[in-house]
Amino acid sequence: MAETSPNAPIAPTFWSKASDLPLIPIGLLLIVFIIPAFFAQWIAPHDPYVPNLGARLQPPVFFGGTWEYALGTDRLGRDILSRILHGAWYVLAVSMIGIAVGVVVGTTLGLVAGYARGWFDGLVMRLVDISLALPAMLLALALAAAIGASFLSVVVVVGFALWAYFARQVRAEVLLLRNSDFVARSQVAGASHVRILFRHILPNVTNTVVVLATLQVGIAIMLDASLSFLGIGIPRPTPTWGLLVSDGRDFIATDWWISFFPGLAILLTVMSANMLGDWLRERLDPRQRQI
Amino acid sequence: MLLYLTRRIASSLFALLVISVIVFLLSHLSGSPVDALLPDDATQEQVDSFIREWGLDKPLWQQYLTFLGNALQGDFGTSLKWPGEDAMGFVLDRMPATLKLGGLAILISVVIALPLGIAAAVYKGSPIDSLAQVFALLGQSMPNFWLGIILIWVFSVWLGWLPTSGTGTFAHSILPAIAIAWFQVSALARLTRSSMLEVLDAEYIKLARVKGVSETQVIWKHALRNAAVVPLTYFGILAASILTGSVVIETVFSWPGMGWVAIEAIRGRDFPVVQAVIIAYAVIYMLSNLVVDLLYVVVDPRIRHG
Amino acid sequence: MTLSHDMNDRGIAMHNRISNIRHAPKRLLATALLAGTILAAGGLGNAAIAQEKVVIAVSPLGADSNLYWTTTGAFIFPSMQTLVGNDPETGGYDNSQLAESWEHSDGFKTWTFKLHPNATFNGDWGPVTSADVVHSFNLHIGEDAKLSGISRFREMTITAVDDHTVRFDLPSPDPDFLFSHAGRGSLVIYSKAQFDAEGLEGYETAPAGSGPFQYEGREVGQSLTFSTIADHWSGVTAEFDQIEFRWVSEPSTRFAMLSAGEAHAVTLPRDLSDDAMEAGQTVLSSTAGAMQSTMLFTGQFMNPEAEENRDARTYAWADVRVREAVNRALDRDAILEVLYGEGVQALPVYTMDPRFPGYSEEIATGFDDAFGYDPERAMELLADAGYPDAFDNAAIPLVVTSLAGNPEFAQMAELVQAYLDVVGIETEMREQDWATGNTAIRGFTADFVTPMRNAPVRPSALGVQIFFTKHASPHLDVGDPELNELGAMLIDETDPATRDQLLQDMFTRIFETYAHIPMASVPASVAVNSELVEGWTFPGSTSSGLSHYHLIDLK
Repeated sequence: MAETSPNAPIAPTFWSKASDLPLIPIGLLLIVFIIPAFFAQWIAPHDPYVPNLGARLQPPVFFGGTWEYALGTDRLGRDILSRILHGAWYVLAVSMIGIAVGVVVGTTLGLVAGYARGWFDGLVMRLVDISLALPAMLLALALAAAIGASFLSVVVVVGFALWAYFARQVRAEVLLLRNSDFVARSQVAGASHVRILFRHILPNVTNTVVVLATLQVGIAIMLDASLSFLGIGIPRPTPTWGLLVSDGRDFIATDWWISFFPGLAILLTVMSANMLGDWLRERLDPRQRQI
Repeated sequence: MLLYLTRRIASSLFALLVISVIVFLLSHLSGSPVDALLPDDATQEQVDSFIREWGLDKPLWQQYLTFLGNALQGDFGTSLKWPGEDAMGFVLDRMPATLKLGGLAILISVVIALPLGIAAAVYKGSPIDSLAQVFALLGQSMPNFWLGIILIWVFSVWLGWLPTSGTGTFAHSILPAIAIAWFQVSALARLTRSSMLEVLDAEYIKLARVKGVSETQVIWKHALRNAAVVPLTYFGILAASILTGSVVIETVFSWPGMGWVAIEAIRGRDFPVVQAVIIAYAVIYMLSNLVVDLLYVVVDPRIRHG
Repeated sequence: MTLSHDMNDRGIAMHNRISNIRHAPKRLLATALLAGTILAAGGLGNAAIAQEKVVIAVSPLGADSNLYWTTTGAFIFPSMQTLVGNDPETGGYDNSQLAESWEHSDGFKTWTFKLHPNATFNGDWGPVTSADVVHSFNLHIGEDAKLSGISRFREMTITAVDDHTVRFDLPSPDPDFLFSHAGRGSLVIYSKAQFDAEGLEGYETAPAGSGPFQYEGREVGQSLTFSTIADHWSGVTAEFDQIEFRWVSEPSTRFAMLSAGEAHAVTLPRDLSDDAMEAGQTVLSSTAGAMQSTMLFTGQFMNPEAEENRDARTYAWADVRVREAVNRALDRDAILEVLYGEGVQALPVYTMDPRFPGYSEEIATGFDDAFGYDPERAMELLADAGYPDAFDNAAIPLVVTSLAGNPEFAQMAELVQAYLDVVGIETEMREQDWATGNTAIRGFTADFVTPMRNAPVRPSALGVQIFFTKHASPHLDVGDPELNELGAMLIDETDPATRDQLLQDMFTRIFETYAHIPMASVPASVAVNSELVEGWTFPGSTSSGLSHYHLIDLK
């Protein structure tokens, strides 16, 4: 494993290893997730919202169905493939915005807490404890009941569920960094705290944050699915994958395709994101062990 | 050591206090129990007497103080949905079921993840490594309710090996425990793998190899003992995540634990039980973290004051 | 499962966790083997259910208590009885429960019930007498009662005429009084002797009833068990020894229980019933319609004057043309087939039912003309109304919700939205749970269109007042002065012919003003394991739709 000193330049390490990019995960992510998210309206063969009661419960092609509905149709005759493709955008938006909320809140608090220490550190760590001790699912239920389930409430819940992990991890890194020589030198040279934090410390925790964020994609998508299961996810008819799997769950044993293909989309996306995250971690941050 | 323990407990209590406020506010913001518990055609008179009976007409802060005062004495009120049941007692009655399931889930995840992680580390870069990682990742890549339902159909209906749902025998707990555990396997295996790799790289292991200790012995005797400490650090997150998982899985499997109570109570706007169950969750989480910290101190005295 | 057993298992798990850390490899292997052994043994030990115990899995109840009056009346224990029974074939009133006969005064204000002289409580709690009825009545009207329809009981007086005769004196005429005493279950008879001996605690532990089953016990929130009484006073005896009700919230889990033979009968969402049939199970329907469904416009949108608490006249559906357009935009045949399967009839007016007074052939035959699928007509109406530009709140919020027993409500909203979209009616989906919607309705702040059900189907005079006028549930009042006036007349009217006419007038008014979006009249259904159950006749007269458990016919 490569030894990296805290303020070693990042870019060369990253690009020198770029030759062994994990092509399969990246390819899968593009095909299943990214491209559909942005181009669904051009590539989806059918309207994902309009029921077609004449074409209810068509099985997938090769299972008695036709290419017209390659992955079959649901109880209302909507094309599963089109719904998955259109759903990708919402899944992407929820996970990205939710993670962004978690990253911004968690990183900022973690940075300041680790650097300032003292009472603020204590407060942040208690908040982390509190947040980890409140099951996100229960919070989501109460929140949804209070303000109603919406895209916003789902994003808030995802952000809430994730920020503490970032805060904890970043704080731990900062604790190590603040005692290192280069921070001490900057302090002696009279640099302001803000400057030290953002010019010297932040760049050094970026790797950690990036890796952690990649690994959290899966958690965010799972959370979205669980919320749909509990009936407090993004409201219908928005075809988020979580809703598709959740809606089809009653029919797993009979009309299996309704939940199987959305489930497969989730599986491939989360696995690829995790593999990419693992790869990034090995390249960027070999010291990191925490999840 | 004593000072450390006192400070830990004090800060946990503070966290619990904050949680109690959050929980109280959220559960009251989330609508009135009147509507979940009275029939659709209830009259105003029925509604009024219900509101009086449960003190829902007092100001919110007053309701909170009453709640806190009683809660400190262990009294969270009586359940609205299960009339006559003491809220905290009701939750505590269901706690063994959740702990049992959670314990089994942790056991399963450890039993699967450790060998996977070790194999992946020992055969780093080989197909075994990749396979182990893919298997571990599978659990994290499926919505757990979906996995749960698939398990029911495969193992209960088609193969007929295990009961579909409910409780009673040990066999009832196997499927839900697997559905909860698999999600953890990935993280735990990954952790084991990386700590194992680190140990295998350490000086004293190299020394042992030089001394001619066989590779098997190096792995089993030296590396594992040290590497196994690492997952311990993860135990806090593991506990939290397994508790969260239990909320959904208990519903799927009709497992009468705290997660099931939580969902039923929130749906029924059963404030007393909602408050009791969330506090109980928080206490379990904090206790398990405390235990981990203490164990940690025992295992590795150097980090006593960390 | 005892507590000590639980503790034990947990102890093992805990122990393993710690030992794993210290001496991982060998212990680990041993643990795995041990776990495998236990697993195998447990699997064998838990073979099929015992032959003589019937298991029925249904979705969990709103409130779960042995004190019936503290629940909403969603489930009447098979061990308990009401005064009036329902015929299993027709759903009509019969004397299969505690009352042997009954009569009423000309004005429907006095009802007298004669109890079966040989009726006795299970256990050794003696005969059922009028003292028990009076005692139960007093319990039911207590402060803690949450029963549907109990407020009317609070206004009446009850008198024990003799040991086996009770008389109810009502403040206003009620021709439909028997309904409350039958499957609706507003009054369930508990034993006074047991109360005197054991108090409420006795009821909480094991309430004595007079039904053909005896209460055995419960696992709170999990299950309820009853045993069959061999020589029941009424002469009916089930052919099995025990019956167990399990509360299971996931439909797919219930379906799995049915398929695995763990349950004899389960309730399933309609479309899963189709799947169950394809999988070779049997789906039994109630002999009579058990439930009506609809979507209701909320708010007093037909009130010509603004209300203090809110002004529903700004809602799009305050315009009758929009309401007609909404109804015209829906292809009911297609929607109902998806929601309820083939053969389910469209309902002309919610709360109108051929079994009860006020049923109008004219409305029923005119339904297609007035409400039939006609998207072009819908678009004309909208254009005529200047929709959407002329409206402050053009978008119609549709409530997506599910209710225990009505999982199809979510799909209903989705389908309605799709059809409204076609004709250009703007919608907005409100995903919320049932209680949240109710909060808004009760608080007079509802501004949406919500699914609603009428189960069991109430006598029309009761239903129409609840769902459309201010007389029973003011928060559901549509605000129409004419309807409220007709409703007020109905309350005091005792002549059957005039009542019938008044009701017909009310239904006509609702029909002609497109005051709601009627959906269907649906029988209750239950899926049974076709290898275990031969048949089961039940009328669909209770809230849950299920009853007459002693008629479950096993193979």
